[in-house]
Order: sequence, then structure tokens, then C-alpha cells
Amino acid sequence: MAYITNTLTMPVTGERTQPASDLELARAAAAGDTVAFERLYEQHHRRVFSLCLRMLGNGSQAEDLTQEVFLQVYKKIGSFRGDSAFTTWLHRLTVNQVLMHFRRRGVKLEHTSEEGDFTNVVDTPLQSTRRISMVDKLALEKAISELPPGYRAVFVLHDVEGYEHGEISDLLEVSIGTSKSQLHKARMRLRELLTKQ
Amino acid sequence: MVCSQCQELLSEYIDGALELGEQVNIERHLSDCEPCRAVRDDLLQIVHFSHQLPVQSPSTSLWPRINAGLVEIQPSFLDRSLRRMRNLRTLNFNFSIPQMIATAAAIAIVVSTGIILSRRDNGTTQLATAGISASPSDANPLSQADLQLLEKQISQLSETVEQRKDSWDPELRNAFERNLLYVNQSLAECRHQLSDHPGDDVSQELMLNAYREKIRLLEGFEKF
Repeated sequence: MAYITNTLTMPVTGERTQPASDLELARAAAAGDTVAFERLYEQHHRRVFSLCLRMLGNGSQAEDLTQEVFLQVYKKIGSFRGDSAFTTWLHRLTVNQVLMHFRRRGVKLEHTSEEGDFTNVVDTPLQSTRRISMVDKLALEKAISELPPGYRAVFVLHDVEGYEHGEISDLLEVSIGTSKSQLHKARMRLRELLTKQ
Repeated sequence: MVCSQCQELLSEYIDGALELGEQVNIERHLSDCEPCRAVRDDLLQIVHFSHQLPVQSPSTSLWPRINAGLVEIQPSFLDRSLRRMRNLRTLNFNFSIPQMIATAAAIAIVVSTGIILSRRDNGTTQLATAGISASPSDANPLSQADLQLLEKQISQLSETVEQRKDSWDPELRNAFERNLLYVNQSLAECRHQLSDHPGDDVSQELMLNAYREKIRLLEGFEKF
């Protein structure tokens, strides 16, 4: 009966000495507490937006998708039972929304053509001397946005968000080998993009 | 090992995902090949800085947009004070009765739960049913016969409400479904508690209350 008692003992709108946990807020929101939901938004919308932005490479689309994510969160929050961290649940939901967005637009995530392939430094000797002196974060953000969608998705999930290849394989419905290969190509492509800047 | 082979494996190398033999081969190659070392160092930098990318903020107009979407899903998201003022101004009380019933149901469950649990926490075994008349069978609040009776009544009421729902406007339907969800969640919680502790009289009492509130909710809406 935890969620009912939490609704009582957690005065979301009132003063409290300790901030409510995500689980408490989620339970209160599931019980119809709109203030609790708004607080969850306040705490998590930047990470959701950042993930959408990096996976989509477009700010306006990222805002639209962040909106969709939080509407989905509101509809589904009753199904969150606290078995995993709220952030994990929210992340998974966000990634699924991004992937649905890709599917709706017919974006293929498994990149097989030469479109995004990198060149080995042995083929372009000059490049080997043009090192990335220090990766500028803005330049890195820009370069990530220029990756092909399939590379970008794997790169963001693995290198930015910390997912394992097994999880990425499940999420993107590709093999682990493909995930590893896409990641390597993404990194090499980023290196090319960053050395050009 | 040639450069192309080395570079194909560099990502897995820096992730520590290679087998020992491949790792040794790559390290041997790297020790003799400056271009490949340069690529390795660049990839290390990319990985390192990617872990540290700052979170980005959307525009401030995003929450109002989300809020508008939420109001469509759930009208109660509309600021309640504004809603009350609007109702007073327009004398539009179309939804006040079922919403009041539903809210009363929710409050009754919450209040009775809180009181019961707080009393249990204080070590007293006495059950309380705030706002709800005590059952004559308090010693065993949820007998199988009671349960069947309640479920039969709920089933009949639900049928009537289902038939009437088609004629409701979206706002009324949302208000009903939201509150029904609330009561059903309470019931689910009780069932969950009872499955863990079948003889728990507090959970049985709570479940009985939740059933009663579901009946009140359905009775309130069957007239619309």
C-alpha cells in the first residue's frame, strides 16, 4: 500500500526538509498529483532533451520528441513500480520514443553503405599529422549531429549514455557485432569531422 | 599486423573488449606505428569527452506545450484554481458531481489507509475506517461471500457505465477513467498485499473500502 501512504506522507506542494525521491514523486504523479509530475519534469527534462537532441541532431525535433516522451510518461507512470531506478525507466522510454520516431520516418539504423565510412589514416597520410589537439565540446556536439543516424544512435547510447552493446543490440534490434562496428565507424567518422574543423 | 587491421580493432582495444592475443598484437603494432598511435589517442579523447558532455536545456516554452498536452489527456491538469474560477464565472458545473464523487472516493481511501496504517505503525491492532461505516464483520472484513457480492454489484454497474460512456464527452470520460484508474490501483495494491500476506486484516479492510469506493464511483457516473 506504499503509494497511498506516500501520497499522504509526502506533501509535494508543502514544505519538507528532504526532497522527495523519484519513486515518491512517480507514485504521487500516478495517483493524480500534478505538482509531483511537474517536479519530475523539472528534474529530468534536461537529460531527456539532451538524449533526444543528440540522437536526432536537431533541436526542434528534439523538443517535439521530449514533449512526446513526457506525455507518454504521464500515461504510463502508473506502470512504473520502482523495480528499477526511475531514470533507467525514463531513459528506456525516451530511447524507444526516438527509435519509433526513426521508424516513422523510415530512417534505417543499420548503416551498410559507404556513405558514412571512414578512411584509414594509411590512405590519407596527411591526416595522420593533423591531430585533434583538444576536443572542444561544442565541436564534438556539432560533429555528433553530423553523423549518419545509425552511427549517431549507437555512439550516443554507448559513449554518451553508457549503454552496453548488448543493451544497444536489444534496443536497436541489431546484432552485437553490428553495434560494435557502428560504434567504431562513428568514432572514426567523428575523428575525421573534428580534424576538419 | 598492418595499419588497417590495427585501426579496425582500435575501438574494441580502447574499450578493453579484445582478447589477450589481439591486444598484444595491437600494442606491438602501436609501439612501432606513429599514425596508428595518433588515431588511438584521438579516439581516446573522443570517448573521454563524450562521457562528459553537458546536459542541454530545451526552450522555456516546452513545459507549457507539455502542460497543454496533459490537459487534453487529463483535464484535472488544468490549474485547479483557474478551473474553479471558470466554473463559478460560467456556472458550468456539468462535471462537478461525478468529479466530486470520484474525488471523495479517492480521499476516503487515502484517509482511511493513512489512518489505518498509522495506527498499525503505532502498534495498535484496532482498525479504523475513517468516513466509512464499520463493517459488521470487522473480525473478518472480507469474507468470500462479501467479495462475490461486491464483485457482482461492480460488474452490473460497470456494464451500465460502459453503455453510457459512448454518449459522454471526452472530458467527462477522462475524469471517470482517471478516477477509476486510481481506485483500481488501490485495489491492485490491496491484492498485491494480500497475496504476500493472505491473513492481513488491515489489507482486507483496505480492500473492502476500495471495493466500496469503486461502487460509489460507478454509481455516481451511471447517471450521466
